[in-house]
Amino acid sequence: MEGLFFNVNNGFLEGIVRGYKSGTLTQSHYASLTQCETLEDFKTQLSATDYGNFLANEPSPLSTATIADKATQTLVDQFNFLRSNSVEPLSKFLDYITYGYMIDNVVLLITGTLHERDTHELLERCHPLGIFDTMPALCVATNVEELYQSVLVETPLAPYFRDCLSAADLDDMNIEIIRNTVYKAYLEDFYNYVSTIGSTTAEVMHSILAFEADRRTINITINSFDTELTKEQRAKLFPAIGRLFPAADDIDQVRQVCENVGEYRSFFDNSASAQSNGDLGDFGVAAQLEDRFFRMEVHLNKLAFLQQFQYGVFYSYVKLKEQEIRNITWIAECIAQDARDRIHDFISIF
Amino acid sequence: MGDDYPTLFRSEQMSLMQFLIPTEVAHDTVAELGELGNVEFKDLNPAVNPFQRSFVGEIRRTEEMARRVRFFESQIQKEKDVVPIRPLYNSAPLVTVGPSAAHNIDELDVTLAEHETRLVQMNDSYKTLSERTRELVEARHVLRETAVFFEKAETQQTDIRTSFDDSSAPLLQHDDREQQYLSTVQFDLEFVAGTIDRTRISTFERVLWRVLRGNLYMNHTDITEPFVDPATGTETRKNVFIIFAHGDALLAKIRKVAESMGATLYPIDANADKRSDSLREVTARLEDLETVLYNTGVNRRSELLRIGENLAKWQDVVRKEKAIYETMNLFNYDVRRKTLVAEGWVPTRDLTMIHMALRHATEESGTSIVPILQELRTNKTPPTFTRTNKFTEGFQTIMDAYGIATYQEVNPGLFAIVTFPFLFAVMFGDIGHGLIIFFAALYMIFKEKKWAKQELDEILGQFFYGRYIILLMGMFSVYTGLMYNDIFSKSLHIWHSGWDFPESDGVSYAVSNGHMYPFGVDPAWHGADNGLVFTNSYKMKMSIVLGVIHMTFALCLQLPNHIRFKRPLDIYANFIPQMIFLQSIFGYLVVCILYKWSIDWSTRDTEPPSLLNMLIAMILSPGKVDAASQLYTGQGFIQVVLLLLAAVCVPWMLCMKPYFQWKEMQMIQGQGYVGLGHRNGGPRESADEVLEIEEEGNGRVIVEEMEEEHEQHDFSEVVIHQIIHTIEFCLGCISHTASYLRLWALSLAHAQLSEVLWSMTIEKFLGMSGIFGTIALVMVVVFWFSATVFILCIMEGLSAFLHALRLHWVEANSKHYQGEGYLFTPLSFAKLDEKE
Repeated sequence: MEGLFFNVNNGFLEGIVRGYKSGTLTQSHYASLTQCETLEDFKTQLSATDYGNFLANEPSPLSTATIADKATQTLVDQFNFLRSNSVEPLSKFLDYITYGYMIDNVVLLITGTLHERDTHELLERCHPLGIFDTMPALCVATNVEELYQSVLVETPLAPYFRDCLSAADLDDMNIEIIRNTVYKAYLEDFYNYVSTIGSTTAEVMHSILAFEADRRTINITINSFDTELTKEQRAKLFPAIGRLFPAADDIDQVRQVCENVGEYRSFFDNSASAQSNGDLGDFGVAAQLEDRFFRMEVHLNKLAFLQQFQYGVFYSYVKLKEQEIRNITWIAECIAQDARDRIHDFISIF
Repeated sequence: MGDDYPTLFRSEQMSLMQFLIPTEVAHDTVAELGELGNVEFKDLNPAVNPFQRSFVGEIRRTEEMARRVRFFESQIQKEKDVVPIRPLYNSAPLVTVGPSAAHNIDELDVTLAEHETRLVQMNDSYKTLSERTRELVEARHVLRETAVFFEKAETQQTDIRTSFDDSSAPLLQHDDREQQYLSTVQFDLEFVAGTIDRTRISTFERVLWRVLRGNLYMNHTDITEPFVDPATGTETRKNVFIIFAHGDALLAKIRKVAESMGATLYPIDANADKRSDSLREVTARLEDLETVLYNTGVNRRSELLRIGENLAKWQDVVRKEKAIYETMNLFNYDVRRKTLVAEGWVPTRDLTMIHMALRHATEESGTSIVPILQELRTNKTPPTFTRTNKFTEGFQTIMDAYGIATYQEVNPGLFAIVTFPFLFAVMFGDIGHGLIIFFAALYMIFKEKKWAKQELDEILGQFFYGRYIILLMGMFSVYTGLMYNDIFSKSLHIWHSGWDFPESDGVSYAVSNGHMYPFGVDPAWHGADNGLVFTNSYKMKMSIVLGVIHMTFALCLQLPNHIRFKRPLDIYANFIPQMIFLQSIFGYLVVCILYKWSIDWSTRDTEPPSLLNMLIAMILSPGKVDAASQLYTGQGFIQVVLLLLAAVCVPWMLCMKPYFQWKEMQMIQGQGYVGLGHRNGGPRESADEVLEIEEEGNGRVIVEEMEEEHEQHDFSEVVIHQIIHTIEFCLGCISHTASYLRLWALSLAHAQLSEVLWSMTIEKFLGMSGIFGTIALVMVVVFWFSATVFILCIMEGLSAFLHALRLHWVEANSKHYQGEGYLFTPLSFAKLDEKE
């Protein structure tokens, strides 16, 4: 039945998003991009892709930041097109995608204010998908209670923040805790929400969200080694979805937990050898791990496109495009800084 | 060499030419050839990345110039008062060829850069100035509006004070002095004032209310006139706000929130005198600033005017330069890097023109070395190039949309000029509707020169593109309308009708009066009870007749192809049996239809036979003809012969071609020859490769690639292809003949629809009299006419157009058209302009 009526409201947008998706850069695009000598070449190459002439009117000394900004802008434009053409429940689903960016923006602003950065500079650095009306007012707040009462109460994020009102002071560690608590609440809420909008969507989104939760869990665990965070506190931050629940004290124990899940087994494959050499240490493992996470995320998001009549494609498209922008920025950065040996360290999507 | 006159019948003969151009005249030569617009250059370095080619630097430079020109264009467009752009034909040309070319381009580059910096500077200063003006204007507004607040507050306060004074006795001795003091310094509440975007005001208020927990008094008013951003031209509307609160902490918070929400705060003094002072000061400064701003604006405008003088010229030059360098990137260097080697397809007919162009280019550039032009022998298929003019272009496009004709194949676009409008008109037959679209097309043709230059929207543009098609469609519709005797569903009574309706009560029968209606359908049929039966039968048979004629004609177009490409086998094995098959069944049907029409059945004793049943009986029970439905004597025998003829054609088509090809193959192999591509081709190819490696990068001339177009004589493939072809043709004959019945169906639908429209609207109001009746009639005529135009002419017309299109693409083209060519896309500056 889902398939029967899906196209009434969402067929057009699914077509659009699949069309967008076929415009993502391919292996051969990346191959020619990595051969570029200068950013000017890079611009010429990109103009042959779906990005088109998005850089045509930029004056000549091109910076990586401009490229990243403009590329993000194309994504935001596409997303806004989808958002403004969608109806319930797809519009709600698309809103949910933006909540993640909103949380990031809120945390960015709070941290920035804490370190007394310039508000306008901070606002410029916010992700355009996560901007909301009252956001600038966040700079005023000095504690969580106030934050909640003055600004967040009327945003859709309000329910997520309710859980962390107890955290009294705003310092770096507390902000991290707030971020993770809120994100946990967000993920769980999103997880529940997708369960209500059709079984196919739920199936696709659950696997993606569960992975997202596991990734956060592992990150929290690894980052909380050697901090004053107790295991109980830590456990409170773990999302209740996902397949991992590590109660570990060092990286080896995390690995053991991951061994139990087939798909995650490969995360620590090479790291063992790296560690035995002793040249990378925990930090190197974490960096490598991050890379693997991204690869896994790309893989899962690609899978979402294999199923029709579901909303997962919208989420996946945004995530894939984000990864693509990261890739472009990485390559551009490598070209600009003449670091050719590392230029291939991106995650190609198709 | 080519034929004497360019013709639409076949595409142009093409030659693959090699150009050896000395490096110093390369640019000018390409420019000249681009103006000429009939050389399609081949990419000689397909393996090289676009940014590793020889002229990337030049391209990048022209792109930078193009960006500057675009910047000027957008600046000019944003300007509110129109800046005139001098059209291209009116401005002095910039010489980009010849000895001074490089110098001119350098100069242009410098000029553009100068203009850009100047414009950017002016924009910047204009922006800062107008920013400051805006701030001052805002400040003035804040001052004025707050003054209003204060005045109001003052009156209220005095009210409070007086009431307070009334109710209680003076508490202090120096009461009078305090009274005086009060009148000067009204109250000591702290406040913040400023401006904020109107869309944000509600959010702002909400946030403030929450942050301060309601401890504030806020007031705001609209600023009536909008602020216009000079850079983008967008309008923003703002509000003045003033917030009263108590305590430094709260005020600091308000300031912070306001700043982060994008509001601008202005220091306002509570003192009325100081306020009026600052108001005066602000006004004075504003006046100064406005004069400066005005001057800057005037300067900027004159700069833009100067740019506008040359903009079109610059655009043209930049576009051409880019095209030239992009073309030169396709070229190859020879061994000594002194000469560029280019290859390209050229219409053989135009070779002399190209020679002249090359010589002209050399003269222009002032050198004595003439580029060398030599013809290459190749077995590659040349591109298809059909010369069209504005009249034939539309028809050719219709056929190209189906498939580009194979090189030198018979081009159906030529015949479509007549058949297309005709088949359309058969479905659209109505004098009135035909005249409407005829005049619409005529109007577009009169406006042609004007409309061709301006940008039309998508729908109108398409109609405009097909204006000559529409014109012919209209003309032909008038003709078929005369044939059907239909004008807006009424009939014309030009000649004397062949029938009289004698007066009688109840049913009246038509009586022949000896006249013969000379042209078209007798108007007496109109309104007769059996009128519909008559037109149906007439149109159905007519569409079969037209269909078979059309298909036969299309089939005949095979013949010139077979002769041209020297395939006599195809004539004997395909064309002749196909023709016999088609004619023996459907040709016979057409003959029967015509024969049946020619007989006066009222004088015969037999009933007129049903031709459909006759055709079915001919195939199902050959040889037997029912005497009651016999059309002519000896019918049974003739039908058997025809059927046998058709039956023989099937194995003929099926077997003959494969058999002869097999025999030929046997013969060749028997003589000891083996195909080039198989074994003997090996050494040659490797030799080529060695050569390629030797000459890599410097002047390798790509000659022919033998692999392409090498025909594989795989016998099974030939057989399968022939089987498919035969089945397709035999079944196609039946289904395609039936498909032509759409001519009948559509023309019937059209006639009925227009009749319904007439009888539902105008007819009912014709009888009404008096002023009321006239008004109603006028209104209903307007309605009827617009419905006629939109429903009958446009909608029905489009549907008839589509069906005519299908009849050409499927029914006719499948009989002869291969359509496996590719389009000739020459480097042409004229087309460059069209693309923009």
